[in-house]
Amino acid sequence: MLGIPFTQLIQALIFPLFAGFAAGGRATLVIFAFLGIFGFITRFLDWQRRWFSFDGEVLRVDSGILSRNHRSLDVARIQQVEIQRGPVQRLFGLATLRVETAGSAAEVEVDLRVLPEADAVALRSAVRVSKARLAAGPDTGLDPDELSAEPERREILRVPLRHVVLASVTGARLLVLPAVIGAALQFVGQQIGAFFDDWVERAIEAGLATAEGGLLTEPDWRLVAIGALVAIVLAMLVAAAVGLVRDGNFRIEQVDDDLYVTRGLVTTRESVVPLRRVQLVEVQRNWLRRLLRYSSVRIRSAGGSTGGDGRVTVPLLHEQRVEALLREVLPGIDGIPPLTSHPPPALRRALFRWLRPAAYLVALAWILPEWVAFLDNPATPWVRWATVALLPINAVLAVIEYHKLAHGLTHLVVAARQGALSLTTTLAPVVKVQAVTSRRTFFQRRLGLTTLHAHVAGPGALVEVLDAGRDDARELQARLTEHAAAPVVPPDPEELPVAG
Amino acid sequence: MLTERFDDRERPLDPRVKITWRIFGTLGWLFPLGGASVLGYFLLDGPLRWLPLTVALVVVVLSATWYPGARYRRWRWQLTDLALEMRYGVIVHRHEAVPYFRVQQIDIERGPVDRLLGLATLQVTTASASGSGALPGISEEQAPLVRQELLLRAAEAIGDHMGDVNDAV
Repeated sequence: MLGIPFTQLIQALIFPLFAGFAAGGRATLVIFAFLGIFGFITRFLDWQRRWFSFDGEVLRVDSGILSRNHRSLDVARIQQVEIQRGPVQRLFGLATLRVETAGSAAEVEVDLRVLPEADAVALRSAVRVSKARLAAGPDTGLDPDELSAEPERREILRVPLRHVVLASVTGARLLVLPAVIGAALQFVGQQIGAFFDDWVERAIEAGLATAEGGLLTEPDWRLVAIGALVAIVLAMLVAAAVGLVRDGNFRIEQVDDDLYVTRGLVTTRESVVPLRRVQLVEVQRNWLRRLLRYSSVRIRSAGGSTGGDGRVTVPLLHEQRVEALLREVLPGIDGIPPLTSHPPPALRRALFRWLRPAAYLVALAWILPEWVAFLDNPATPWVRWATVALLPINAVLAVIEYHKLAHGLTHLVVAARQGALSLTTTLAPVVKVQAVTSRRTFFQRRLGLTTLHAHVAGPGALVEVLDAGRDDARELQARLTEHAAAPVVPPDPEELPVAG
Repeated sequence: MLTERFDDRERPLDPRVKITWRIFGTLGWLFPLGGASVLGYFLLDGPLRWLPLTVALVVVVLSATWYPGARYRRWRWQLTDLALEMRYGVIVHRHEAVPYFRVQQIDIERGPVDRLLGLATLQVTTASASGSGALPGISEEQAPLVRQELLLRAAEAIGDHMGDVNDAV
């Protein structure tokens, strides 16, 4: 039985006490003090009543203050082990250990907070040793000392700091910003030009007007544009900082058959993903990163919790290194398989998908105000024509999306690609496919198309083959079902056709 | 014990399932569409204010009369030598294949209407939540047999892989 030290008590004290002192006013102070004492007692009891043991095969955790919860976890079922250390925890030499199993529950299976770091590492290597022993079989003469020694780590990947910054600046959340900048610059360009001097004069006047207590009746669009630009720059800086704190020092190492993923500058997180448990790998490239020839890669194990712990995202990776990483993460699979594109009717579906929301907007701006009684025609002509301009833009995006649609199947891996601006290639080892479903809407039936889903373990984890040809999809489903039902690697790979 | 094994022909559901669908389909549409028609009547102008109500009436009538039958005619399930396959759906045609090897759990579920009619739903769960399937409209006498058959086939499939890939996740 591994013990829990006194230092964790101090950590449990810090927040409630701090909260109590920081609050202003006597009433708030009393409330906070009460909450603090209550929180302290709860935390203390929770710590006192939480026990765990590990006998080499089963991890047992007893927890709960009033209702006791007893968990036993088989080593063979463990999907992912994670050690997390926040700044305060590092000060006291503590760590949080999380263990995940397959399942779709939202919470982490085992969450051991405030554990001495040495114990957390010891427990993790104990899990590793037991798994290695299980994998080797009971009667192989493996030396336990040799196994329990800290094993050699082989570095697979390290993401330099400048890539982490680049990743957060070109990330999905900031992706709309360049478009906003472009629009803003265009707008400013139109407005400024010959009127630049006039603008300076008016800006000063506007400043004086506000200083005198007067209000601007009309918003000055140029000031708004400048403000937007400043906001964008600030947002980028904040994103870069957040990205650095979260993903700084990102590296992946291989220890035996496990991937050790370490990341974080302030709070360090070290996740262990067993290679055999990798369910899905997504290679994502948004248009900005495509221009710069970078990708991000998301590795998903079947870890149940949706808090992002079931997946590990490599923030940024040069295109040329993606294949090498895939080979490491999906052993035996030689990168992205050859992909075949989809039949021409899929273009019509892509157009429909992209034009439908644009058409709704047009309808909303042009038709609805005439019919709805209480709306006093709020759409200005400018807004109306902007919605119409969306139609050709979306049509172009649809054509791009159609040309990017593709899928492939080998005897080891199923892959599919989709997306217009942001391109995602999803790969899943066929050994991991749990079920195969296909769906055909009325329009898909008329066009002879089928959408196919290969489901793997993990919340919402699947490979989507969008709008494949009907016969292709039928064959793909039959072959995938066969693989999922009899997941033995075929002896002769050359007998099987390469692409689906 | 089982007296006979299920063969791999395509099977329809129990016809009584149409009654369940008729009840729940109608009730399920009544509330959202009722609200929408009231809202539409007060918010819209001219002849358009009757549109939501008309649509609601058509949908409710269809879901009480035509839809359950059409849905029943489309439903087929089949125990192939590898997987439980289900084909269904009127507007969206679906085809689901759940290999026996991947089955983690099989539940028999019986709601109040199901119990009155003597029906059951088989919930077949795999390690993937989205890749798990439900087989409705199985008569209560047949449901345990189907479950036993599925469990037997799952055990056989796992037995074939002993020592090789015996862990489905």
